Amino acid sequence: MPERSELARLQRWMQDAILAPGGPTEAAGSVLTASGTMTAEQRLGVYWRGYRLRLLEGMRGLHEGLCHLLGRETFDAFALAYLEACPPRTPTLFRLDEGFADYLEATRPDAGRPPGEPGSWTQTLIDLARLERLFTEVLDGPGTEGTAVLGPGDLPADPARLARLRLVPAPCLRLLRACFPAHEYLRAVRLGRDPELPAPRAVHLVLSRTDHAVTVSEVDPAAYRALSALVRGATAGDALDEAGAGAEQGLAWLRRWAGQRFFTTVTTDITEGTTR
Amino acid sequence: MTAPRLGHEALGFGVGLRTPHFEHIRRHRPAVGFFEAITENFMDSRGGRRAALEEIADRYPVVLHGVSLSIGSTDPLDLGYLARLRDLAEAVGAAWVSDHVCWTGVAGLNTHDLLPLPFTEESLAHVVRRIGAVQDFLGRRIVLENPSSYAEFAGSTMSEPEFLARMADEADCGLLLDVNNVHVSAFNHGFDPVAYLRALPPERVVQVHLAGHTDYGTHIIDTHDAPVAGPVWELYRLAVELAGDVPTLLEWDDRLPAFSVLEAELAKARRAAAEARGA
Repeated sequence: MPERSELARLQRWMQDAILAPGGPTEAAGSVLTASGTMTAEQRLGVYWRGYRLRLLEGMRGLHEGLCHLLGRETFDAFALAYLEACPPRTPTLFRLDEGFADYLEATRPDAGRPPGEPGSWTQTLIDLARLERLFTEVLDGPGTEGTAVLGPGDLPADPARLARLRLVPAPCLRLLRACFPAHEYLRAVRLGRDPELPAPRAVHLVLSRTDHAVTVSEVDPAAYRALSALVRGATAGDALDEAGAGAEQGLAWLRRWAGQRFFTTVTTDITEGTTR
Repeated sequence: MTAPRLGHEALGFGVGLRTPHFEHIRRHRPAVGFFEAITENFMDSRGGRRAALEEIADRYPVVLHGVSLSIGSTDPLDLGYLARLRDLAEAVGAAWVSDHVCWTGVAGLNTHDLLPLPFTEESLAHVVRRIGAVQDFLGRRIVLENPSSYAEFAGSTMSEPEFLARMADEADCGLLLDVNNVHVSAFNHGFDPVAYLRALPPERVVQVHLAGHTDYGTHIIDTHDAPVAGPVWELYRLAVELAGDVPTLLEWDDRLPAFSVLEAELAKARRAAAEARGA
């Protein structure tokens, strides 16, 4: 339907009025009728409030941890600012927060300070928001249930052969570096507790999924560097070199991660194709 | 047993499928006729929620109920959405696919609200055209629900039931009659809900919705967070008198109670339908 149609004009007007941050500004009486108990503006206000309440409810559900940390009023202020900047475009509310952590990052009041500074309150909020988004992605995105994955026994013990392998990450594998144990805080909140914010320290987290349950595990920085390199597509040899790991340590890591279903398969080289 | 409508199955009495009840349904296999799943909660999911739906669909009839088809929007139809809807409907063997007579956004946005349409010839032609396109794409007749509304357009030239009746006839689609929405909108706009029901074509009514609402004094909001109210039961009895044994579904979203509460409410629906039939 062309934009110039009356229906298109009315829909644009109503959506603009609903999305207007300060409330509908244009008199609604010429477009909407009054009822016996409410003016046209008050009736439009039902939709204005309903839009925000519905989306805030969705954001609170997706960010239980951050909402607990900030308190509902402050969380709602952050969430509304985000929704105002990034109104939803997807049919599902589960993707409502896709840009939330990036929005917090882009609008951080301490811009200019070193990113990820331990103890930074701003970084704490961003890291928790990012963890909760990743949790949703892992929980609801594609996983490896019912499909063959790389097992520990599929890895060669020979260091030279191992070094040439490229491991294909499972679609539900996510990595996150945070400035505090965000996973411990989130777990406690989800158990209905009221935890103290853990002391700041750098943590390296791996999110994955088994039997539709999300697992979040902390790994040491060297292992995280190796995993990050593998996820970027590096060969096992290059990834272990980047982590400064020897052959024995590297094989142990790879076997453990294969046992945790972090990888679906291995390739050696694009010209050699898939080995399994 | 309810009667088949427009070729759709007679599914009896069902409830809306909500995540907190998954485990109860798996363990106890409650005696409900069907489940209604919110399309958008599952169409993009590849996680446990989707797996649970497919497991339930192996044991129960499932219908899909969408909130983002946006049949009345002046944005182009979202073909990606329709493709995913078609895939989901096939995956769960959906007995039918429904959504609302509304629009959810324009300019690429989705307000996640069921926004009202002006009831005009222009809107009617637009909606009928799009229903045809959607039905062609999905390869099935769709079912559209009367939404609750809180505002009406001054430029409307026909009543809501007239719009729905003409839409269903011209587009050859089914109607999902939400009697709670009729009550809510009737209060908010001051129309006669009985006249509304009598103006709809009963042969087009494929399904009936029951739900609770919240009365704010000046207006009522369709909150789906409470038992079905007395006046809504009265409308339901009339709907059954007019439309016969139509598949009936109880919706409950917020402040979700134990499944047994839903079953008790569904038992009331069975009794009300039986009374209306004079059984």
